[in-house]
Amino acid sequence: MSVSSKHAFWPYAIALPAVAVSIFPIFWILTIALKNRVDAFAMPPVWLFSPVWENFGRAWSSTGFSGAFFNSLIICALGNIIALVAGIPAAYYLNKRHVPGRRTILIWLLISYMLPEFLFIVPMYVLFQSIGLYDTVIGLALIYQVFTLPFTIWLLRAFFADIPEALAEAARLEGAGTWRIVWRIYVPIAAPGIAATVILNSIKMWNELTIALALTFENAQTVTLAVAGFRGYASIDWGAMSAASIIIILPMALFAILAQRRIVQGLSLGAVK
Amino acid sequence: MRRERNIRWLIVPALALLAAGTLYPVIYAGYLSLLQWNWGSEAKFVGLRNFVRILSGSGFPKALFNTFYFAVFAVVIETILGLALALAINRIRYGAGLIRTLMILPLMVSGIAVSLIWKVMLDPTLGIVNYLLSLVGIPGPAWLGTVPTAMPSIVMIDTWWQTAFTFIILSSALKSLPSEPFEAARLEGATAIQTFRHITLPMLKPVLVTIVIFRAIDTLKVFDIIFGTTGGGPLRSTESVQTLAYQTAFKSYKFGESAAIAVVFALIILTLCIIYLVIDTDDGEKA
Repeated sequence: MSVSSKHAFWPYAIALPAVAVSIFPIFWILTIALKNRVDAFAMPPVWLFSPVWENFGRAWSSTGFSGAFFNSLIICALGNIIALVAGIPAAYYLNKRHVPGRRTILIWLLISYMLPEFLFIVPMYVLFQSIGLYDTVIGLALIYQVFTLPFTIWLLRAFFADIPEALAEAARLEGAGTWRIVWRIYVPIAAPGIAATVILNSIKMWNELTIALALTFENAQTVTLAVAGFRGYASIDWGAMSAASIIIILPMALFAILAQRRIVQGLSLGAVK
Repeated sequence: MRRERNIRWLIVPALALLAAGTLYPVIYAGYLSLLQWNWGSEAKFVGLRNFVRILSGSGFPKALFNTFYFAVFAVVIETILGLALALAINRIRYGAGLIRTLMILPLMVSGIAVSLIWKVMLDPTLGIVNYLLSLVGIPGPAWLGTVPTAMPSIVMIDTWWQTAFTFIILSSALKSLPSEPFEAARLEGATAIQTFRHITLPMLKPVLVTIVIFRAIDTLKVFDIIFGTTGGGPLRSTESVQTLAYQTAFKSYKFGESAAIAVVFALIILTLCIIYLVIDTDDGEKA
């Protein structure tokens, strides 16, 4: 849709307050994280203050936080690897029009992405306890495939659909097998799409709480659980809690700023195609 | 054109993972829902007694009501707000990219961080929100702390968090619309409202349906922001189906009853999925 020829200012009157509302809570929690105890609780709020870093130190060194941070990094990496290794061939397969079971599998993907977590959490809790995957990072990376894999396949299929068939045909005439075609033609061409997929999957896994809450105890605690640990009852340490929130937001916010276009591309493909 | 011969093996790893991750648990959850089984004790087959118990008790119906109340308000508000913002920002020529980047930031924040941020901001005495309200002479409520205000507060928090999703998708959809109908409308002298009602809205309809279904399923599964703020209180006024399932399984250790809750709830969500699939296949063979 083309932008109207006359240049209006009213859209800014809507956009700027919306931007302010979007970023103010994040900005506000950042200021609390950087304030000392007295300033954090001051009313009216202190807008000018010299920042202190002790809240971040306290958050980072609190029980299990740094360990949980690295657990989450490993889970994201493993989860993405598994999703791509299983998802790329599957997306190639489901991109073909006439393959057996195509429609059934696509519907299955959609439904498994939408199932409420507790339908599989309790059975998985029982299973993981008995086969030794409970409270392990590999266990979480595997169970996250319930949403990561459908999303990966769905998105990559949409990206693969834009690659002209003729390229694969030419390669096949020169004797390339399916495996080579997938990894040497489709994967490089769809690299931006794969990047979008990895970014969106990472955000989802990094932020996941429900499954991690049920399937970990101590060793494989994720960063969301470590942050949840700060919401105490009587005496909440606002400073450390805010700092912990900033630590968990920061990697994904940087991701978002650096890869805004990829994220938008992935989200809209996921929802529209 | 040479047909690719046997490529079935390409789908095998994905199917194996999906079967282990969804098919097995779904069947097992169905079986569990028929047991009276508290973790650590002997399991006993009780038929449909768990279902009778949850449906005739007060906990599950209340959680179901709360969940739908939350979902309906959140989805309606987020869709309308997202559409309005997308329409406005679509008209912006300078700085639209930066505006979009800043507006999708809430979407990157995890539910638990969202709840902590709002817990701090909505604190009745020390929070910034009530301070700002007091500047214009409005006495702020206790937000998450009282029965009438708790659920609306959760809706408000979700609106802050997820409107970016409806906004960004409607923005991309608007940009991909053909320009001819709009030019024709302008030549015919249509007003902005007429153009919106008779051209923009009908063309956005498929995307709007998708957004509403996706947000509906997502909001029905609400867990993080309730767990992080109220934990279901006060007086269970914000208890959702998923927080109830969590309490039942991992606080009371009633695995059979929790499975029964999950099964009933999954059937409700499945119905929505089916409605979506039916609507979606109406406009051409997509899947």
